[in-house]
Amino acid sequence: MSTVNVSRRGFLKSSGIVGGGLVVGFSLSGCGRAPLPIEPEAGGYVPNAFLQISPDNSIRFYCPRDEMGQGVTTGLATLIGEELDVDPAAFDVVFAGVHPDYNNPAMMVQNTGGSTSMKAHYLPLRQVGANTRAVLIEAAAIDLNLRADQLETDNRYIIANGSRYPYGKFVNTAARLQAPEAAPLKSTDDFHYINHTFPRIDAIAKATGTAEFGIDVDIPGMHHAVVRRSPVTGALVESVDTSAAKAMPGVTDVIEISSGVAVVAQKYWQAKQAAQKLEPVWQEVPLGRMDSASLRHDYEQLMAGEDGVVAADEGDIEAGLEAAHSTLEAQYWTPYLAHAPLEPMNAVLNIADGKAELWSGTQSSQAAQGLVARFSGIDPENITVHNTYMGGAFGRRGFLTHVIEVTEIATAVDKPIQLVWSREDDIRHGVYRPSSLMKIRAGINAQGNVTTWDAKRVGGNVGVDTLRSMLPGLFPGLGDGTINWMVGMADTTVRGWIADPTSIEGIFEDYDFENLKVTHTTVEHGLPLAFWRAVGHSYTSFAKESMMDELAIAAGVDPVEFRLTNTQNNPRLNNVIRIAGEAMREMQPAQGRYLGFAAHHSFATDVAEIAEVSIDNGKVRVHKVTCVVDCGIAVNPDVVRAQMEGSIMFGLTAALYGNLDLEGGAIRESNFHDYPILRMNEAPAVEVIIVDSGTEPTGVGEPGLPPIAPAVANAVFAATGQRLRSLPLKLQV
Amino acid sequence: MIEFKLNGAIVSTDDAPDTPLLWVVRDTFKLKGSKFGCGAGLCGACTMHIDGAAIRTCLLPISSVAGRDVTTIEGLGTPENLHPLQAAWHELSVPQCGYCQSGQIMSAAALLADNPSPSAADVDTAMAGNICRCGCYGRIKEAILQVAGAALAYDAAAPAQETGA
Repeated sequence: MSTVNVSRRGFLKSSGIVGGGLVVGFSLSGCGRAPLPIEPEAGGYVPNAFLQISPDNSIRFYCPRDEMGQGVTTGLATLIGEELDVDPAAFDVVFAGVHPDYNNPAMMVQNTGGSTSMKAHYLPLRQVGANTRAVLIEAAAIDLNLRADQLETDNRYIIANGSRYPYGKFVNTAARLQAPEAAPLKSTDDFHYINHTFPRIDAIAKATGTAEFGIDVDIPGMHHAVVRRSPVTGALVESVDTSAAKAMPGVTDVIEISSGVAVVAQKYWQAKQAAQKLEPVWQEVPLGRMDSASLRHDYEQLMAGEDGVVAADEGDIEAGLEAAHSTLEAQYWTPYLAHAPLEPMNAVLNIADGKAELWSGTQSSQAAQGLVARFSGIDPENITVHNTYMGGAFGRRGFLTHVIEVTEIATAVDKPIQLVWSREDDIRHGVYRPSSLMKIRAGINAQGNVTTWDAKRVGGNVGVDTLRSMLPGLFPGLGDGTINWMVGMADTTVRGWIADPTSIEGIFEDYDFENLKVTHTTVEHGLPLAFWRAVGHSYTSFAKESMMDELAIAAGVDPVEFRLTNTQNNPRLNNVIRIAGEAMREMQPAQGRYLGFAAHHSFATDVAEIAEVSIDNGKVRVHKVTCVVDCGIAVNPDVVRAQMEGSIMFGLTAALYGNLDLEGGAIRESNFHDYPILRMNEAPAVEVIIVDSGTEPTGVGEPGLPPIAPAVANAVFAATGQRLRSLPLKLQV
Repeated sequence: MIEFKLNGAIVSTDDAPDTPLLWVVRDTFKLKGSKFGCGAGLCGACTMHIDGAAIRTCLLPISSVAGRDVTTIEGLGTPENLHPLQAAWHELSVPQCGYCQSGQIMSAAALLADNPSPSAADVDTAMAGNICRCGCYGRIKEAILQVAGAALAYDAAAPAQETGA
């Protein structure tokens, strides 16, 4: 029987209060009591920050994590519903407001990301469910004049002597009791919902257009804002003639804000049309002298140089090279990428009577609240944040310049404002997956062991830009000077002392390298960087798994056997490779089709993928992908399958098309015609095999992505003999 | 003043004639199910039916729908009264983020109205204008083919209504 130490985690030590009045939660962060952002329903029982049970037996679940499509509402409702004995589909799920009780246990802040949600909430939310069920049983025993051990539960009902009583019948009594802190949890054999497949609980809303995204929010008196920004990131307005825009129909305000010039109108289309009439002159910034070729030149120079931070150093790489039977050295390139979620960035903000209300789908309600506070001067406790469904995020919605913009605009014009970015804004004015140049020098001996692995990456550091972006929102009380100092310290550290873990993660950890060296050299040109699905793993996997394939082929060893030989100290990855290898051996691709293999560990999950490709008219066509994943217990196996399918499509878009170029410091691409996304007629069939390892859940939203690009590249080599070491993959013709 | 039919009801608007239908539906008539994705007719998130045909509406001036019959996702089905495609979307857990799905379903409904028994290749062709950034393509295709197959099975089981005699 596993339980969590709830008093240490600080969950659940809360008093239930029935009816109106203050709902009090005790925060786990030691910040003292703060009122929970929960509106009590008439007679509703709020046993903790996550639940409200009404006398009519409706049960609201305050979901602490943000839904970007990864299925977190379904997954977390499953965890709490399992122990509370409530069908996850029966919950009324709402997104929680800002409060320390909703912090991500993996991060200690209220953020969603890093494929952490199931792993971090697996025990805590089950414990909340179990404790609440226990207090309901205790209340029912009192009201029914029975002993607790005479009572059972069945999906929102107490069962007593063959009769069914709704949970809601006992809320008045339950509210007078103290819930236990460590009610026993179910054993995995007794699970009703966890590890069972049933439809996503948000599917009907999303199939009927009734799911509310941030862009759908509409409040009385709302005006619409469109912002013109510099084509080159970071350039400020030098001068702007606003008269033509101001004369356009419906326009109420044209103002300068920190990122550019904002046009406010009664309707979106009016604002959009008027913004075209602006002719801002922008200041010059150093980035404006860069283009893709000069940028690449900088990377190549730094790769050839000696600068850098040693991130890992084990054994003796030179001795390892001497012991090698054969050695290889190769260089790999991956470009800047945009996330391009289908819902462009947007936010609605209403400031009135010294209070603010924000509606926006973000990966951090806490940072959103802090940014509104910082840029409006309103105290965080007077700022209500309504999170919404997100039309995709992939890391993008952790970076909230649009929240800063809407705050500046609403503060200046004194109207409720909806800010909507265009697709062009999204591609050209966003935050980016950094480009990377990676070099690996490796050797293998006659037994097929990798004797040395010497890897170097040149590129920007997502971690530093994340601090730059997140600190102002997470710590609205910190001055700009302090934040700049902290970011500067972080930047100095990763440039000269300790590599940013997100810059090199995945390039060396998976295999039994006896002699190992990892070096990192920072290069930044001023484009803001961001987490992008799978972060560092999204590019390091391409270098690592391509090189593993190259080594195996150079030595005349089967690439799967080669990986098995070199994962003796990594049994879970070894098992996934073995299962995928067995599946691959059974495959009989049609004539003209070829297989490629890759495996990668990320976000505590192990994944191997086999891509089946053909070359049609000089273009790579991926027909089928087989994916083997060990993510511990699959909270909902069908959601796990969906995330593997989605990660593969997302990774394939990057492998086949994804590229951003700079011209005069500006992003050249602008919309889906020149930044294409994989479409249905190009999408492969995907088969997902989930390894039933029975351990606690690990990451799901991202780990399916890293293996796909190298799996396809390795298949392309099998098909053509061409070793493509740059993404996107382009065949020489 | 431009008049047209929206989900069966006659409506009129004094929005500027060059305003795209999408923004009239969203901002003036407050139907938020149809989405803005690219503003360039490239992603299909804004797809509605105009006289039964699936049309991208993010560029389509409102002047061009005067007197015509516009159906949005809200007019296709509701949570209480699902269109067969919407029921299949639920059963197969098609959506991830869900943002593109109104447009996907409107394209799919127009396809099935036109071609009740499409092949997988027909589905690929008809749906190639709708981007799903989450990559739900396999499930979208499966849901469409399942609904088409169910309709076929239903037709085969039903007694012939017309003999043509």
